[in-house]
Amino acid sequence: MIEIYAPDGRVRTERDDLAQPVLQLAGKRLGILDNTKPNAGVLLHRMAEHLRERGGSDLAVVETKNAALAAPDQVIGRLTKEVELVLTGSAD
Amino acid sequence: MTSGGAEMLTVDDDPVAVMDAYAARGWGDGLPLVPPTAGRVDAMLDALGDVDPDEVIAALPPRDGEATRRMIAVNAVLAGCAPAQLPVLVSAVRAIARDETNLRGVNATTHPVAPLLIVHGDIAATAGFNCGLGAFGPGNRANATTGRALRLILLHIAGAHPGPGDASTQGSPAKYGFCVAENVDASPWGGFAASVGVEADSAVTVHFGEGPHNFHDMESQDPERILAKCASAMTTTGQNNACISQGEYFVALCPEHAMVCSDHGWSRADVSGFLWEHARMPVDELRDAFDLLAWADWMRDLPDGAMAPMTESAANIRVFVAGGAGKHSCVMPSWGMTRSVTVAVEP
Repeated sequence: MIEIYAPDGRVRTERDDLAQPVLQLAGKRLGILDNTKPNAGVLLHRMAEHLRERGGSDLAVVETKNAALAAPDQVIGRLTKEVELVLTGSAD
Repeated sequence: MTSGGAEMLTVDDDPVAVMDAYAARGWGDGLPLVPPTAGRVDAMLDALGDVDPDEVIAALPPRDGEATRRMIAVNAVLAGCAPAQLPVLVSAVRAIARDETNLRGVNATTHPVAPLLIVHGDIAATAGFNCGLGAFGPGNRANATTGRALRLILLHIAGAHPGPGDASTQGSPAKYGFCVAENVDASPWGGFAASVGVEADSAVTVHFGEGPHNFHDMESQDPERILAKCASAMTTTGQNNACISQGEYFVALCPEHAMVCSDHGWSRADVSGFLWEHARMPVDELRDAFDLLAWADWMRDLPDGAMAPMTESAANIRVFVAGGAGKHSCVMPSWGMTRSVTVAVEP
């Protein structure tokens, strides 16, 4: 028998703070962050419509970003200021 | 049991048992592995001199794994590296972690992007890298295993495993290992690293791009006729750079093609400038080919009928010399949303 290293090592322990979950949709302002991948906009807008019908949230802001890059600070800033919930994350 | 905070496994003293133990945990690249025993890893680390083996060089996305010198050495052993190669690998990790490479995007994309390592300067010779005939492989341990070790670091430490950590639709043979040394002795323009502002005895460049697109010219004795073929290889709509104007192209000229350029008084910048002027496509064709164009504003404003360059600046066409006798060169388009990085080799 031999002893060998595992190859992956530790994971960085410092974590970014996550937003608190939204427990009630009624009256909440909703944002869309469209990464401009094909059909992302279609999917996200349909989800927003469902949430409006079922939960009473209103779509207030639609922003776009390049799919390969993080959203610019000004986009994150606007969403942070103007909505309580953001839909995003669709891929090809 | 741990060594330097790392997990240790106990397995049968047999290479196949090591492969099996790793595969059962989702590790490895599918090829045989050298067992990373503490003795082998310590011998690898000795090549770095008096430095902290457990200092975090970088946290690599998407897993945010901490790439310490020790864990880099573990993966170097696995790949079959010799200790003299480790400084190149540590420096390459510093390079891939820089913001401009966009490593998170590189690992998230469906594109078959792979990290090309270009080794410059003294360490290319002292660590046994091949810059001459067959420089892109196969047949040389340093080239093959350094490129492979960087991939293992991406798989293990960064978590870039196909599926959850690497979304590449088809993958690429370049993802197994993609490393070459610059043939500075055959370069009429001196070393590449100095041309991008890195003055060091040894340096390494990381370029996240596509595999080599070959171009050949056996006949010409003028730069224009040779480089027109490179321009032809650069002007396709299938590459990511076709719709992303910040993309880079790395052009590896063989010594004979480089010499023809130099004999006509062309500098490295002249080669880049010629390619920027001649690697162009009708803007209407590009607009027809893509719904979305991540282009600089001045390119968006090009009138119908204009010829659009394949990148927004001649400086994005990076030229270096590699290879041996013969008249084949190659060009490697980038993934697009990434920038190459050149750093001095440091332990």
